[in-house]
Amino acid sequence: MATGSNEPKSRYRQYLEVLTGPIEDKRRYRQYKARTEQLPTDYHTAIDALQRYMLFFGPGKADSLLVMLEDLADLFEQSAANGTPLRAVVGEDPVEFAEEFLRNYPEGQWISRERERLTNAIDRVASDKQ
Amino acid sequence: MGKQVTEMLKGTLEGIVLAILAGRSAYGYEITAWLRDQGFTDIAEGTVYALLIRIEQRGLVDVEKVPSEKGPPRKVYSLNAQGREYLEEFWRTWSFLAERLEQLREGGN
Repeated sequence: MATGSNEPKSRYRQYLEVLTGPIEDKRRYRQYKARTEQLPTDYHTAIDALQRYMLFFGPGKADSLLVMLEDLADLFEQSAANGTPLRAVVGEDPVEFAEEFLRNYPEGQWISRERERLTNAIDRVASDKQ
Repeated sequence: MGKQVTEMLKGTLEGIVLAILAGRSAYGYEITAWLRDQGFTDIAEGTVYALLIRIEQRGLVDVEKVPSEKGPPRKVYSLNAQGREYLEEFWRTWSFLAERLEQLREGGN
């Protein structure tokens, strides 16, 4: 699903999708991509950059991922229709916007595993004996 | 708008948006425009949108899709009973915080 510099991972992912990805998900993803191509050039570049970041930190499951991308496309289409300048859509700090947006969706599997590991490590040693 | 206001706004934006919606239904762009008029000039439309998604997921607002002349249909948000309850709780928390801070400023504790 991911495009760009990370070739081996992307090919692996594509292979995995051939085996596991439901056709409906692929259709939705293609539809999302088609929507982004209709956006003004600066918006299109921005949504691709946001998608790259969000695929890295965002949901591990295809369905949640697609809901997230579709919500993102909704925002960009609305803002394009209103003629909002790109900077006013994503704000001064795009990373902060991306993080704020990601909070609405289940987090990626590796990151939730690490958070659980940290919580458990502290729980084991700080067993509230005071 | 300074960094400090941006930081403080993060914790209160949810309550502010719910309070706006308690007055009347609105769509995302109207809410952002209102906030900017009120002096929150740095607020990003995307930030408000992310927040609207969140309060929708938590069942604090009802959402209606209304066709628009230009572009895709607009999502119009209105506060529901659960949202009203949540907003009351927000105001209680706010009062508590504001009182304590006022006491600090006056030098008592």
